[in-house]
Amino acid sequence: MRFKFPLVAISLEVAMIVLFGLFVQYETDQTIFQKQNTTGPMDTGRFLELYPLFQDVHVMIFVGFGFLMTFLKKYGFSSVGVNLLIAALGLQWGTIMQGILHSHGQKIHIGIKNIINADFSTATVLISFGAVLGKTSPVQMLIMTMLEIAAFAGNEYVVGEIFKASDIGASMTIHAFGAYFGLAVTVILYRSGLRKGHQNEESVYHSDLFAMIGTLFLWLFWPSFNSAIAEAGDKQYSAIVNTYLSLAACVLVAYAFSSLVEHGGKLDMVHIQNATLAGGVAVGTCADMKIQPYGSMIIGSVAGMVSVLGYKYLTPFFATKLRIQDTCGVHNLHGLPGVVGGLAGIVAVDLGVSNMTTVARQAAALGSSIGTAVVGGLITGLILKIPIWGQPLDENCYDDSVYWEVPRVREHDSGFHERDDHSQLELDV
Amino acid sequence: MGSKYQPSLRGCLPLWALTLEAALILIFFFFATYDTSSKDQKHLMEAYRAFQDVTVMAALGMGFLTSSLWRHVWSSVGFSLFMLVLGVQWAVLLDGFLENFSPEKIIITLARFQQATMSATSVLISAGAVLGKANLVQLLVMALLEVTAFGTMRTISKRFLSMDDHSNMMHIYTFAAYFGLTVAYCLSRPLPKGAEEKNRTATSPSLFAMLGTLFLWTFWPSFNSALLNDQNEMKNAIFNTYYALAVSTVTAISVSAWTHPRGKINMTHVHNAVLAGGVAVGASCHLIPSPWLAMVLGLVAGLISTGGAKCLPMCFNRVLGIHDTCGVHYTFGLPGLLGGIISIVMLKLHINWTNSPITGNQVPITFQALGMVWCLASSLVTGLLTGLLLNLKIWKAPDMTKYFDDQAFWKLPHLAPAS
Repeated sequence: MRFKFPLVAISLEVAMIVLFGLFVQYETDQTIFQKQNTTGPMDTGRFLELYPLFQDVHVMIFVGFGFLMTFLKKYGFSSVGVNLLIAALGLQWGTIMQGILHSHGQKIHIGIKNIINADFSTATVLISFGAVLGKTSPVQMLIMTMLEIAAFAGNEYVVGEIFKASDIGASMTIHAFGAYFGLAVTVILYRSGLRKGHQNEESVYHSDLFAMIGTLFLWLFWPSFNSAIAEAGDKQYSAIVNTYLSLAACVLVAYAFSSLVEHGGKLDMVHIQNATLAGGVAVGTCADMKIQPYGSMIIGSVAGMVSVLGYKYLTPFFATKLRIQDTCGVHNLHGLPGVVGGLAGIVAVDLGVSNMTTVARQAAALGSSIGTAVVGGLITGLILKIPIWGQPLDENCYDDSVYWEVPRVREHDSGFHERDDHSQLELDV
Repeated sequence: MGSKYQPSLRGCLPLWALTLEAALILIFFFFATYDTSSKDQKHLMEAYRAFQDVTVMAALGMGFLTSSLWRHVWSSVGFSLFMLVLGVQWAVLLDGFLENFSPEKIIITLARFQQATMSATSVLISAGAVLGKANLVQLLVMALLEVTAFGTMRTISKRFLSMDDHSNMMHIYTFAAYFGLTVAYCLSRPLPKGAEEKNRTATSPSLFAMLGTLFLWTFWPSFNSALLNDQNEMKNAIFNTYYALAVSTVTAISVSAWTHPRGKINMTHVHNAVLAGGVAVGASCHLIPSPWLAMVLGLVAGLISTGGAKCLPMCFNRVLGIHDTCGVHYTFGLPGLLGGIISIVMLKLHINWTNSPITGNQVPITFQALGMVWCLASSLVTGLLTGLLLNLKIWKAPDMTKYFDDQAFWKLPHLAPAS
C-alpha cells in the first residue's frame, strides 16, 4: 500500500491535470453566445439559477452516498473516505470523458451543466462501490473509477445522442447501469472464503444510524437530482413534483412491506435505509413527463415494494446460489428500481404523455444500459482480479484497520446492551 | 400485566399503510392536477428553495431532535420520516379541499407542498411527547387526525377571525405542543422501573440529537418567514428570528450551567432550549421593528424554556401524570404561548406606532386574542379525542415493559441469532 497507492493516485491526478490543460476551458460570454445561435435561447444568468441544484447534487454525492454506506460496523472510515476519494477523481475524469464525447473532440467549455453531469457520472461509480464494498482496496477503486466512467460516458452518449431517448433523472443510465456494473464486477471478484459470511459483515446500532443520515440527505435532495438538467420552467417543475410524490408514496409502502415480510411485524433498518429511496430512482426516466401526480405515486409504490422484496428474498438467493456478494444490496436499491423506471418510461411513452421519444428508443436505451454495464463490469472485474492492486485478504475484508489508522478503542465495538465507557462516565458525574 | 411479548404488528401496520396509500393515490387520481400556468424560472427556483428548507427542518431536524433516548433512536428517526410523508400527502389534499369547499381539482404547486410540510411538522412536534409509548400504527392514526384538526382549526380562524396565513401557521407550536401533551395524558400509565433506565439519555444519541438541533437552528428563519408575502415583512422575520435564536442559545446554555449545583451544562437543555427563541418570535417576527426587541424576546424565551426544563418534570408532569418524553412542553408549548401574547402586544403597539387605522390585512387585537384561545381550546379537545381513540385495544399498543425500546419495533440482527 505504501508506494502502490500514492503512485497510482498521483499519476492519475497528473494525467488529469495534463488532460485538463489540453482540452478544457471555461465557458466565456463568447462561447455562450455561439451556443445561443446554435441551440436556441439560453439565459446567461442560468449559471447562478442552477448553482443551488448543483449543490444539492453535490451534497447527495458526497454526504448522501458516503454516509449511506457506513452501516458496516468496522468499515465506516473506508465508506466515507474512499467515497470522497473516488468521487473527487471521478468528477474530473467525468468532465473530460463526457466533454470529449459531446463536443466531438473539440475543446470543452465548462458550464454549470458540465459540472452537474460530472457529478452524475461519479454517482455510477459510487453505486458500484456499494456492491463491492469491503472487498476491494483503494487502488482497485481508482482503477474501477476510470474504467466505469469511460463506459458510462459511452453509454450515455449512445442513449442520449444516438437513440435520443428520454432519461432525465437517469434511472437507466446511472442507477441501473451502476448497479449491474457493480454486480458484474463482484461476480468476477467472487471470494469463496466469504461464502459463509464474515464476522465483520454486520452493523451495530450506531453504524446503522450513521447510514440513516445518508438516507435522509439522499431523500431530501432527490428532487434536485432528477430535475437538475431538466428544461427550465414546466418540465423542471414536473420533475420536482413527480419525484417528491414518488418518494413520499415509496416511504409508506416500504414501511408497510418491511413490516409484512419480517417476523413479528417488526421493521428492518436495512429496508428503511434503502427502500425508501427506491421511489426516487424509479421515477427518474419519466420525471419530466406529464405522468400526473397519481402516476408518480404508483411508480413510487411499486418501487418501494420491489425493493423491500428484493432485500428480503433476492439478496440471500444471489449470495448463496449465484455467487454474487452484493454488500449494500445495490441491486435492490438501484438495479431493480432502475429497471422499473425504464419500464415505467416505456409505459408512459406508450400512453402518449411525451412526444419527444418513442417506445422503441426507450427500450433500446434500457437494453443498451444494462448490456454495456454487464460487459463493462465483467471486463473491469477481470482487470481488477490481477493480483497487483493490493487486494485485502479474506480475513481482512470489511475492516478499516487494513487501510486506515484507527483509534485504539472503538466505541462501536461494544454491543447495544452493554454500556460503553461514555455512559459509565455519565453515571459518575 | 399483559403478555410479556410485544403484540405483532404484522397484520395491522401493512394493512393500514397500504390501504391509506391506495386511498391517497385514488384521491390524487380524481382531485389533483399539475399547475399548468407558465412558470418563471427564477420564481420556481425560489419556491423550490423555500420548500426544501422546510423539508430539511422536518425530516432531518425534527427527526433527529427527538433521538436523545439511548435505546430509541431508530424509532425516533424512522417513525418521524413515516409520519412526515403521510402528513404531507394528506395535508396537500386537505388544504386544497378546505380552501374552496368545492370538488374542484387541486392544483399542486410547490407552495402547497411547503405549507403541507409545515402542517405535518405539527405532528412531529406532538409525537415528541408520546414517543416511545406508542407504536407506529398509533402514530399513523395520530398523524392523520392531527393534520385534519390543525387544518380545520386554521381554516376556521381564517374564515371567522380573518387571520392571515402566517399568524395562523405560527400557532403551530402551541397547537402541536398541547395536542401532544393531551394525547400523552390520555396514554399515560405509571411507568415501570425499567423504563426510567431506558429513558436516560446517552452520549452518542445526544450527539445525534445535536445534529437535529443544529439543522433546526440553521433553517428556522426560513420556517418563520415562509408564509409571508411582503418583502419587507419577510426580511424583518428573517432578521428577528436569527437574533432571537442567537440570544436564546446563549441564555439557555448559561442558565443551564447556572442552575446546576456544580455549574455543569445539561445537554438536554441545549437540545431544546436553544430553539425556544425561534418558537417565541414566530408569531410576531414580521411586526418587530428593531433587533433589540427580538433579542429581549429570545432572552425571555431561553429563560422560560430552561426554567421549564428544570421545574416542569418535577411539578406539572408529576401532578397531572403526564410523561413528556422529549420536553415538548418547554421547547414548544411555553415559548409558543409567550409568542402568542407578544404578538398581541406587538400588534397593539404596531397600530399605535404607525398610527394608522386598521387596514385590510391587519387583524383586530381581539380577534388575535380569540385566535389564540381558539387554538388552545381546539388543540386540547382534539388531543383528548385522539388520545381516547388511541387507547383502544385494536391498535395493539406496546406493553409498558417495552416502552422506550427499539427492540419492540425493529429487527436488531446483531443482537439475537437470526431466527
